[in-house]
This record gives sequence, structure tokens and C-alpha cells, in this order.
Amino acid sequence: MNFAIEAKNLVKRFADIAAVNDISFIVKHGETFAILGENGAGKSTTMRMIACRSPLTTGELSVEGLNVKNADRRIRSLIGVVPQENNLDPDLNVRENLLVYSRYFRIHKEIAQTRCDELLEFIRLKEKANAKVEQLSGGMKRRLIIARALLHRPKILLLDEPTTGLDPNVRQEIWEKLEELRRTENLTIVLSTHYMDEAEKLAQRLIVMAHGRIVVEGVPHEIIKDKVKKFALEIREADSFNLRQTDKILSQKRGSTHLYFAKLPKI
Amino acid sequence: MSLAISKIDLTDSCAVWRRNSRVYLRLWKTELVAPIIEPIFTFFAFGFGVGALVTSDVEGLSYLSFVGAGVLAFTVLMRTIFEMTYGAYFRMVYQSTYDAILATPVNAESLAFGEIIWAVTKGVVDCLFILPLVVIFGSATSLFTPLSILPLIFGCIYLGGLGLAITAHVYEIDYFNIFFALFFSTLFLCGAWFPIEMLPGWLQIVAFIIPTTSVIDLCRACLTGNFAVKHIYESIYLLIISVLLLEWALRSIRKRMVA
Repeated sequence: MNFAIEAKNLVKRFADIAAVNDISFIVKHGETFAILGENGAGKSTTMRMIACRSPLTTGELSVEGLNVKNADRRIRSLIGVVPQENNLDPDLNVRENLLVYSRYFRIHKEIAQTRCDELLEFIRLKEKANAKVEQLSGGMKRRLIIARALLHRPKILLLDEPTTGLDPNVRQEIWEKLEELRRTENLTIVLSTHYMDEAEKLAQRLIVMAHGRIVVEGVPHEIIKDKVKKFALEIREADSFNLRQTDKILSQKRGSTHLYFAKLPKI
Repeated sequence: MSLAISKIDLTDSCAVWRRNSRVYLRLWKTELVAPIIEPIFTFFAFGFGVGALVTSDVEGLSYLSFVGAGVLAFTVLMRTIFEMTYGAYFRMVYQSTYDAILATPVNAESLAFGEIIWAVTKGVVDCLFILPLVVIFGSATSLFTPLSILPLIFGCIYLGGLGLAITAHVYEIDYFNIFFALFFSTLFLCGAWFPIEMLPGWLQIVAFIIPTTSVIDLCRACLTGNFAVKHIYESIYLLIISVLLLEWALRSIRKRMVA
């Protein structure tokens, strides 16, 4: 069977450090696939390799059946990239951002105009078409970056931490748009994220990465059932008083905040 | 190993060029101030100021005729170098424009080439505004004057390539200070304001190695119609240096952006 993405023993080294260390995974057509992990886990490097922005040190990687080593141009015409950082063009207005970008995909001018209107409608930014990028809110910018990645009707959408730094209702809005895209456009979506809730909400399958390796692989709700404790108690400023800890409760310390996890609440 | 220049796709480079030209057309009023104001004041300073002290002919020309090529090349080349250092650095690092472009089918080589041909275009546009000034101030006496655009184009390619390659190696903007200290120092040696034959022998060799010397000399030949055999060598040298630095820029941008 042909997969949207197939990675075999993927390794990426920067000098002596292995940012990605022998990982293998597949992404099926039409599914949303999440790569979960902390900063430095190797998520972004994996995404960069898929986007043909980072040559592999060793291993095999194919995207839509094409090898990243010799078909990078073709691959980049099949994927839409939503980067972690805002890289909209501040020298251009909202509409120009889409039109100028469409030239890099060699989209005919008239088709680009129509597609641009369609996408501005889809992300509800039509009335802001002539606004400067700086005038947009964080959520609007994110929506515009997603629209820009969809200009050429890609088969795969790559999103690197799509909702990091956004407030909860904007995150919700972005999630709805992504879900709509997967459903209506039959897009394959690959996203990297820090957030389990985001992966759970969007992804059909996920991998969890740590130190360049895959530590867990599977279906989100099963992983949550299996690995995440049912109850969590968060105590802020916990250093200011003593808490006794039993073996059945797992604790995690983040600064002066203590998190306690248990399968059953013990009160 | 294949040449980076062979990986350029001209349609892609053109798309990059058009992005820059769109921004330029929006800001054209501010963009055109420098190439008009700067040469006028340079002519005032060197033509009337320094020129008043130079009573004898310089290489058989009046000082004002001699200095015209310097004023022309100085203004045009300066624009190119700023465009490919600070301008490119802003687009690459602060605006992440290169990142956005490289997420499309455009490759690093076509992106870099698009940037350089844009810098050359800006130089040529400036040149079109400065040339009439050169004529008005009496520095252009030959019918070959419009041909002075040619050495300037190669000057822009060589300096654009050099600037972009340096930019690809700069990780903190302050490092440009070192490059500009060297660059500005060379500008005083390259025969813009006095003939390099006035320099001691070893310094003349240094001056001839700096490709800007060839650019200015060829410009002067076009403005005054005084051609000589050395101009053939200078043209070949300029052509070779332009291709080499273009190749270096393309490779450097790939190394920086695709890692």
C-alpha cells in the first residue's frame, strides 16, 4: 500500500548531536497525524525533513511515493507548510500575501485571484483583504498562514505547532478549520504539538517523541487511557507548605507548582 | 559536483524578483530620493570643492570629467551592497521571507539568484536617474555614455553576490560592521577620486585586484570615449569575478537555509 508519508530509520545529526535518532513511521492518506513532544524532542527537525528543508543524514523518507532525496521540487508542490513562526510578508497586504505567494507555485493569475477570494472567505478575512499584516490579530495571522499553505491545493498539510501562543477560543477556531479541511478536502494533515489535548482533538494517530526517538505510538484516546492518570491535582505555590506523598500518587514539579496524578482520587 | 548556477530556474527567480519589485513600486518615492540627492551632493563636493584645487588635467581629462565615473559607480554599487546585506538580512532573518519562499517549489539557488537580479535591477534604475546628472554636470562627453550601464551591471552582480554570500554567513547583524569597514576602505583605493597610478607600486596591485577598480575604469572609458587595451582585460576579470561570486552566493544561501 502506498502511504502519504513513509519514514524508515530516519536520522538527522547536527555535528555530534542526533536531533532525530532512527525513527520509523507511516502516515496514511486522509488522516490527521500528530507528532507530540517537548521542545528539542526532534518534532520540528522531522517536519523540516518532510518539507525537504533539511537533508537526511541516513534513512529513507518518501512523501506521496516520492523520495525526498531526488524529488524535492515535486514534493514541495504537493505539500502546504504552516510554520511555527509567523512568516507572512509584512511588506505586503493580506491579499498580496496570497497573490505573490501563488506565483511561487506558478498558479495562473486568474485562477490565483479566484482561489484567493475563496480562501479569504474560508478564513473569514475578506473584509481585511487590504489590511496590512501588522494590523491582524494573532489568530487572524495564523488563519492567513493556513490559507497561504492551501493556495495550490496541496495533498498534505504540514503544521508545526499550529496553536502555540494562541488564546483558547482562537485555538478552538483553528481546530475547527483543520477538521473541516480534513473532512471536506480529504487532506492528509501532519501536525507537531506540545499539547496532548490538541493531538487528542485532531489526530487519528500519533507518535510521541523524546530526545530524537519515538517513545510511544498509537491512537490518542488509547494512549491517554493507558499512560495518563485519570485525575490530576495542581497545587500552586506548593513549596510554602509540606505535603505528604504516598506511593500511589505520582508527582511532578514545575517551579513552585506541584502536579499530582492518581488513577483514583484519594481524599 | 554540479555548479549551483546550473540549478537556477529562471521562472522561479523571476517570481522572487517580482515580489521585490512589488514592494519597491509601493515605496518608490522614498526609494528614489537617494540616487538623486547623493550624486548631486557628491558632484558639489568633488567637482566644485576638491575640483577647484585640482588645476591640472587628470589622465588628460578635467577633474570633473574624471570624477563622473566615480560618482556614478559609487552611488549605484552602494545601493546594491546595502540591498544584498541589510536588505537581504532583514528578509532572511527578521521577516523569514526566505523561509516562506523555500516552503514552495522554489529552490535556494533560484531564490538567491532572484535576490541578486533584483539588486542589479535596482542599480540599473538608479543608473538611469544618475546618468542625466552626469551629463548635466559635464562629466559625460562621449556618445558611448549609455554603455556605462554594462560594467555597472557586472559590478552589481559581483557586489550583490559578495554581499549575499557574506549575509548567508552572518548570524548577528553587527558582524556587517567588519565587512563594511573593509568594503569602504577599498572604495578609497579603486580609482574613483584619483588615478591609481598615483599610489605606490604595491598598493596599485591591491587596487587592481579590487574588482570595483575595473568597474570604475570601464565606466570612465564609456563616459569619456577613451578606450584602451587594458579595458579588455578588466572586462574579462570582472566577468570571471562576477560568476565566481554569484556561485559562492548561491552555495552559501543553500548552506544557510537548507540544513
